Amino acid sequence: MKKTTIALLAALSLSSSLSLADYPTKDIQGIIQWGAGGSTDTVMRSIAPHVEKELGGDIILTNKTGGVGAIATKYVNAKKADGYTLLMGAENPQMYKILGLSDIDYSDMIAINVLARGTPIIVANNDAPFNTMQELIEYTKAHPGEVKFGSTGPGGLTSIVTAMIDSQVKLDYTSIPYNGDGPALTALQGGAIDVMPAVLGATIEQIKAGRMKAISIVDIEANKLLPNLAPITDALPGMKSYLPWGPFFGVFVKKGTPDEAVEKLQAAFQKAAYNKDFVDLMQKRGFTIMNISGDEADYFLEAYRSTSSWLVHDAGFSKFSPEDFGIRKP
Amino acid sequence: MDAFNYFAMSWLSPELLGLTALGTFLGIYVGAIPGLSVTMAVSILISFTFSWDVNYALCLMVGVYMGGVYGGSRTAILLNIPGAPSAIATALDGYPLAKKGLAGEAIGLSTIMSVVGGFVGIIVLAIAAPTVSEFAITFQPRDYMMLGILGIMLVGSLSGSSLARGIFAGALGLLIGTVGLDPMTAEERFTFGVVELWDGINPVAVMIGMFGISEALHQLHHMNKAVIKQKISRIIPKWSDIKKYMPLSLQTSFIGVIVGALPGTGGDIAALMAYDHAKRITKNPKVPFGEGAKEGLIAPESANNAAVGGAYIPMLTLGIPGDAVTAVFIGALFIHGLNPGPLLLVEQPHMFWFTVGNLTLANIFVLIFGLTGIRLFSKIVECPKGILIPLIFLLSIVGAYAINNAITDIWWMLAFGVFGYFMRLYNFPVGPVILGVILSSLTDENWRRAILSERGNIGDLFISLFHSPLSTVLFSVIVLILFTQSPLWTKWLKRKFFR
Amino acid sequence: MSSQSPMIKTRKPGERIFCFLLVLGSVYLFWQAYNISGFSSLSSPGAFPLAASAAMVLASCVTFLNTLKLPAAKDVSFAYHCFPPVIATIMALILIYSVVLESLGFILTSFAFLFISIQFLYRRSPLITLAITLFALIVVYIIFRLVFQVVLPEGIVPEREILSSIKSLWR
Repeated sequence: MKKTTIALLAALSLSSSLSLADYPTKDIQGIIQWGAGGSTDTVMRSIAPHVEKELGGDIILTNKTGGVGAIATKYVNAKKADGYTLLMGAENPQMYKILGLSDIDYSDMIAINVLARGTPIIVANNDAPFNTMQELIEYTKAHPGEVKFGSTGPGGLTSIVTAMIDSQVKLDYTSIPYNGDGPALTALQGGAIDVMPAVLGATIEQIKAGRMKAISIVDIEANKLLPNLAPITDALPGMKSYLPWGPFFGVFVKKGTPDEAVEKLQAAFQKAAYNKDFVDLMQKRGFTIMNISGDEADYFLEAYRSTSSWLVHDAGFSKFSPEDFGIRKP
Repeated sequence: MDAFNYFAMSWLSPELLGLTALGTFLGIYVGAIPGLSVTMAVSILISFTFSWDVNYALCLMVGVYMGGVYGGSRTAILLNIPGAPSAIATALDGYPLAKKGLAGEAIGLSTIMSVVGGFVGIIVLAIAAPTVSEFAITFQPRDYMMLGILGIMLVGSLSGSSLARGIFAGALGLLIGTVGLDPMTAEERFTFGVVELWDGINPVAVMIGMFGISEALHQLHHMNKAVIKQKISRIIPKWSDIKKYMPLSLQTSFIGVIVGALPGTGGDIAALMAYDHAKRITKNPKVPFGEGAKEGLIAPESANNAAVGGAYIPMLTLGIPGDAVTAVFIGALFIHGLNPGPLLLVEQPHMFWFTVGNLTLANIFVLIFGLTGIRLFSKIVECPKGILIPLIFLLSIVGAYAINNAITDIWWMLAFGVFGYFMRLYNFPVGPVILGVILSSLTDENWRRAILSERGNIGDLFISLFHSPLSTVLFSVIVLILFTQSPLWTKWLKRKFFR
Repeated sequence: MSSQSPMIKTRKPGERIFCFLLVLGSVYLFWQAYNISGFSSLSSPGAFPLAASAAMVLASCVTFLNTLKLPAAKDVSFAYHCFPPVIATIMALILIYSVVLESLGFILTSFAFLFISIQFLYRRSPLITLAITLFALIVVYIIFRLVFQVVLPEGIVPEREILSSIKSLWR
């Protein structure tokens, strides 16, 4: 008993003298905003081992779900700003302020790396009586209230893409909400909904297998994975002002984290995101690698926030005006 | 011939065989510890097996999955704390058996029937996967809604002596299930402005509290009573017993496969529905349900292991997860550079029969590991209460924390533990509460989707129930149960006419 | 919906009050459910909670009325049969445990909780209690913290530092 105590004390004094020298001296906790098996979870779990190799320390990944990621965000910001707690999240916090979900978004944190960006796509059930964006618009106009749009709740990708479309053309459709694009895309295949905007990566395999059809890619140009699919700007040129736009994955730490830790983390994540395995994985799923940090990341995050916030505000489902938080108009 | 080679792959390679065995063994203990879920274990294994060959990683994970679903019954039988929500129904009759000194026999029987269920699931997966998955995705919101209603009707069989108390408990559970940000509109429901409540109250926290803590508190009444000596002479159940219960086990296994294959439901609902089925078709149980009926143990155990094979059906054929664990499996395949989706079996033809073979192997290991160590486990019940009860508290608290690394889950678990104590004291059944929590979002969300699909017109919704054969069948089943066999109705009849 | 079962013939002390509290609680929850979105539409977020809480109100009222009819059980006292001191003590211990868990950390609080409660319930020599406590704590710590990487509340014990220095001794 005594021996172990002494050993522990010795170890303790050793570690405290080390902690000043070089970060990291202990395990880093990575808080994933979304549940096991989701796309954020998958991306983070596939990059973490590469980062561990660069840092020479372990990252313990923990899923902390709830409140569209607000609970994880709050948790990380309640911890010490020592670089030992990372927030591994998706785009959602950028809408927290105007939706009244939280008073912290990514502008109140330090971006370690914005890893990748997804491209939205509009998909439809195989039996749907339209094949292109133009036909979808015409059919919906001709049959008001009949087309069932899948959605994933306010502030999610589907709601922002439909808000973009609504800003261009007034359509009367029935919106059926699901919790998450997984269940919604399943419902689409089963015919419970007709159309829905989703992220390319979640649909690509189904499209290739012919289980659902792609209507349009929500971008200014065609995508490498689906070269024959027309971009939405062909049918709705006015959408150009919002695009390219897409959900993203990023890693963040609390403001006030020592520069030394931030720099080490940024360097480690940057190197890890260049890893061939990771790049392959992301591209196969239709994600565009960003791998940006510092000012570049801040600029990207701000652009995302301002486009999305104003869209959601103009569509009428925000709780507060983006002006209240000094979010400029795009 | 290729199929057979792929099937036998994990049987013939010593490494794969060993990893499957290790996985199954670990799984049984993961499943047995409340709060540690198979989903969590498989997620950790993803990071752990990152650099391995994909087949090695899969063997370990498949073992954990198969073992874990079975393992939940251990603590349910021994301590009345279901290791996972799919073992809730197991606790209802399994724990009374342990209290009678029959823990060994109960575990033995549950092992055999779990393995039977597991095999039924695997066989359906092997021979009918494409058909079942096409069937499963045609389930419309209205069909899920009716499944939910079917489940809620189980309150009748879980109510015990007083139906009004059962309905109260069930409705309370449904209400607990709605707490948090509404996933469809992000409206706050019963959150009282507390951010920690946005994600709702975790069903596992309610479960550990209502079952584990309240039972442990109750045990404090009997501190001076001698511990129950466990009869451990018979572990492997009598052949005549196995034969007698086989039809029930097979029937409930099929319930398990189908409910497991549905993308919106999993083993927990399957087990509860199987329990209800057993209670309805068993006319004269030797021991009443809730007091240690073997039928009440067999049904959920067969069903929840059959649901494993079921959950793989949409995952392997369509890339749609059948439950939370298969969702993580899809992530694992993705990380290992495969493309889980409808084309998986085209691009990776070995995957299907490899998985079937591996599941079969894991199921055999469940049998082996399940039947060993029972004597040792049964001793847990004989452990002096003065030690056992504090340990149950500790395990419950750590388990509740482990669900989502949140102190608030501990608070809820304790609150429901104390409330559950008083509910039991005053003859309120606690089973319906947890039933309600599990079925709440399924019913609520699909009811709303169904009515939205008909643009808010309830008349149209009713007509839509006759649009597809599936909906019509489900609707008829509900009506049939309500008016003929339901304990709700028969109880009322009895009271009216035979009193 | 008369549901007075032949099995419940008497009421325990406190049963009436408990049932009455359930009625009050149900009515409060019904009011809360109404506040979500009123009776606006069948697909509103509040529709299902309203239905569930209405069922609670009804069922709790029926139960309460039934308890009014029942005679009190004989020779049963609340303080002895329903809520004896031992249960109150343990509940209090758990309450304290969960309050201080986050600030003091898992290891210290669990140690104290286990030691006190086992000593209180098992009543053997403190050395035996200490041995059981340590053994249980080590097993739980290894399973949850080390194998399953559940980062238990650290509180005032610098666990991660200790762990990493132990690890560095290994390397």
